[in-house]
Amino acid sequence: MDRDRQLDSRVPLRRVEFHILLSLAGGDRHGYGIIQDIQARGETSVPDVGTMYRALARMVDAGLIEAVERRTAPDAADERRNYYRITKPGLRVAKEEARQLGALMRAARIGGLLPKGAK
Amino acid sequence: MTHDRLLNLSERWFRLLLRLYPADFRDDMGLPVVEAYRDRAREAINRRGMLGVAGVWVHALVDALRNGPGERVHPAVSWRRTGNWGRDAELAFRRLVRAPAMAAAIVATLTIGLGMFAVVYTVVQKILIEPMPYKDPDDLYFVWRDYRAYLDLSRGWLGGPDIAELQKAGGVIEDASGLVRQFRTFSMREGEEATEIAVMITSPNLFDLLGVEPVLGRGFGRNEAGPGRPAVIVLTHDFWRRLGADPAILGTPVRLNGRPFTVIGVLPPRFAFMRNASLGPPERADAYLTFDTNVTEGRQPEGGYAGVIRARRGTSPQVVAAAVDAVGKTIDARDFNGRGLKLYAVGLKPDLIAPIRPALVVVGFAGVFLLLALMVNLASVLLARAAQREHEFAVSRALGANSTAVVRATLLEGALLGLVGGAAGALVATWATRTLVTLAPLDLPRREAVVLDLRIAAVIVGVGLLLGLLAAIMPATWAARTSLASLLAHSAVRGGGGHGRLRRGIVIGQVALSLVLLTTGGLVVRSFERLLRADPGFRLDGVLTMRIPTPTVFVPEIADALALHDRIERALAAIPGVTGVSATSSLPLTARAGQNTITIPGAPGLTGDKDRDSPLVDVISIRANYVEVMGMRLLAGRTFETARREDVREALIDRHLARQFFPTGDPVGSKIPFGRDQAGRDRFLTVVGVVEQARQYDVHQDGRPQVYVRAEDFGVRILAWVLRTDRDPQSLMPEVRTAVRQTDPRLAVSEVRTTGEIVANAVRQQRVSAVLIASFALGALLLAAMGLFGVISGSVTRRAPEFAVRLALGADHARVLRMVLGDGARLVAIGLLLGVPGIYFAGRIIQGVLVGVSPLDPLTLSTVAAGLALVAMVACYLPARRVLVLEPAQSLRQ
Repeated sequence: MDRDRQLDSRVPLRRVEFHILLSLAGGDRHGYGIIQDIQARGETSVPDVGTMYRALARMVDAGLIEAVERRTAPDAADERRNYYRITKPGLRVAKEEARQLGALMRAARIGGLLPKGAK
Repeated sequence: MTHDRLLNLSERWFRLLLRLYPADFRDDMGLPVVEAYRDRAREAINRRGMLGVAGVWVHALVDALRNGPGERVHPAVSWRRTGNWGRDAELAFRRLVRAPAMAAAIVATLTIGLGMFAVVYTVVQKILIEPMPYKDPDDLYFVWRDYRAYLDLSRGWLGGPDIAELQKAGGVIEDASGLVRQFRTFSMREGEEATEIAVMITSPNLFDLLGVEPVLGRGFGRNEAGPGRPAVIVLTHDFWRRLGADPAILGTPVRLNGRPFTVIGVLPPRFAFMRNASLGPPERADAYLTFDTNVTEGRQPEGGYAGVIRARRGTSPQVVAAAVDAVGKTIDARDFNGRGLKLYAVGLKPDLIAPIRPALVVVGFAGVFLLLALMVNLASVLLARAAQREHEFAVSRALGANSTAVVRATLLEGALLGLVGGAAGALVATWATRTLVTLAPLDLPRREAVVLDLRIAAVIVGVGLLLGLLAAIMPATWAARTSLASLLAHSAVRGGGGHGRLRRGIVIGQVALSLVLLTTGGLVVRSFERLLRADPGFRLDGVLTMRIPTPTVFVPEIADALALHDRIERALAAIPGVTGVSATSSLPLTARAGQNTITIPGAPGLTGDKDRDSPLVDVISIRANYVEVMGMRLLAGRTFETARREDVREALIDRHLARQFFPTGDPVGSKIPFGRDQAGRDRFLTVVGVVEQARQYDVHQDGRPQVYVRAEDFGVRILAWVLRTDRDPQSLMPEVRTAVRQTDPRLAVSEVRTTGEIVANAVRQQRVSAVLIASFALGALLLAAMGLFGVISGSVTRRAPEFAVRLALGADHARVLRMVLGDGARLVAIGLLLGVPGIYFAGRIIQGVLVGVSPLDPLTLSTVAAGLALVAMVACYLPARRVLVLEPAQSLRQ
């Protein structure tokens, strides 16, 4: 119960945190990989490397994600990289965040800030 | 430049930038960050060459400049290596919360200890240290007469001419005021119920001299004194509150001894002026009046006034002393034929607190010792806690954690405990101080000022914090030095790291400290016990005393007053259960006797030295049967009988006078010149008996020699009545009041006390100090016992394998137990030895407060040492018992 309430209190997430959870929801990634995902999503302000790793460290501490010991098929360059995996609470928080974002979007549409029917 | 070289160079740059991040973050995330930038740099080279790399470099710099310090301020990563203070404090807190019983025990110990210290600190600070609530209080002095050149009296009242001379003196003496304390029968309106109040009758300048303004109304005008002065009265705040705190009282008349006095002012609540009596304890008053005579005129050299002077601002006490001495010389030459009378000045505060100062100093020192004992105890506890984490520290140090982190963890723990203990202690002490004040003697100077305020609370919290930090230093430095290597080396056979020796040292210190506190406590308690057992020369049970003044206003003629006394006596004697009634001018232990010099011409004990042959004695007026009612001891002759002869003035003298004047013979029948008749011829007292003193000043020793005379012979308006009863004396009170009211409704009954209460009140201060110091001592003993218990228990646990080996090799259990106990005994013995110099030191301080006990009293010292050793050995034995059930085979297997 307590833990749930603690996690719920993290919503809304910081932007970079939501991006991280979004990337990890699709599979384990390392920090730079997540940055590349964000670039690919067309985000205008891509987080710095330092910002990214600080967020990762914070989220590990909070139990939203966890470090993975080693990739299954390591190539040489990957050896120094930390991979991350989303945890169950992390997934729950991400879903909650997405639900709230969705609600916001609908509200924006009804309020005329977004064209109706736009995806 | 090749791509690889450029990449390597970039990596160096990124690593350099990494230094901007805290070490914890570098440990965790350093490599991935560098790797990510390498990836970026590689991409940039591929896409845009050198320029692209330069862009990444700049970008990385900006990033590191932002996030590096950012991470230091708001760390994302938990404390691991160097940590951060806030985080450390949180961890220290969590560690304590995880062991709630332990933390509660420590905090409770600190709370009680610091609470006790806070009480003592408040009392010492408020009474001894804080300035009196007057304007420039250091420039105020009491002036007294010193008669010691020819009489045994070092603090005598001033005479009117003395005050006049002081007022005229000028120079550094800016102003002088005389005061007399008297009792008045007070009622709000004529015919309403009367009470007796104490009034200070003063020169009109007293409030100006002290620099005090009334909160309501005004003080006295400069000309509102002397014959025909307006009858005006200024009330103390306390008395005004007792009257109902009605501001409308200003300008209305109240009755003093039946005469109307107009209330013109109410003094501030802080104003609690007291003055010492010449021979008795400090006294205060309920209201202030001015003299209705010209005190400063005339030439009567008899003393009767307390004198207060204000010196010019900032004058040194020596200069003031010289100025007062000069005035004294004038008076001695003019009014005393140069017999050697001196005047001297004592600062207002020193004069008031002089009697209580030694006791306060002792209690203050005891408080500091208790604080030391607390600190040592906390150090030992923290050391034990640090020792539990010995492995953690050693491993983290082996892994490269720097020692400051470990030191900080322990320091924080100590500080946190000290802070909480200090705050809780201050809280407890606010209540405890209030309780203490209610137990304290009523004449305790500055009693009303003894309140634990915010500033004192802050000091106590600070003391707690400091104590916690100091206590943590020892274990912290130990923990910082712990290394894996030494840990492994130590755990080989003997077990336990280097903290063992440190803890033993601490225990030795605890034993030494408790020895000092316990001897102090033991001596003070024994001295108090002596006081309680002392025979003050009168019965302590079955006697009720009270004051019933018969002021001149009600009965102007002395013959009527004496008749009224007879009526009162008959009314009191008629109360069922009363077996005897008498009266006196001065009850025992109240120091209200008058003084006179007497001699017995022709007595065999005369020396020829005029001063020695005319000693200063207490003259106490009594009615018949006083000796019997009070249960005083008659040594020779007879007491005053109910039947009285007009032509013979009878007297009783005490044992000391009998011995001085009649070392061998019988004093009964001898004559003492005492006063003159109307024709100017000497009148004589005839000694009819010799008594033991009913002590006037101290419970435990005789005071000035005493002469008892019959009140009727001298027309004394006697004040204090004594009733002997076979009932519970307290239960007589309603009947006493009814009887007095029926005799004359204007009479007030006050200060109704049993003789037992009089004695209890006289030893209140000693009782409070004894209880305080004894509880400090027991606290220290308990702490020492806890320390010993911990050390022995720890050593038994650690040495279990060793003992198992010994048992397996044929030693029996008793022998191993003896070994452990011997270990404890050694610690106790060393502690006791180290405490000996402390006993000497403490002895010097407490000497002044001990009654009938030497500070090096062998019985007390040996009892305390033996008791301490016994408790210490029990504290060793309890954990040591565990070796008796040690199974060698099982222990060795473990």
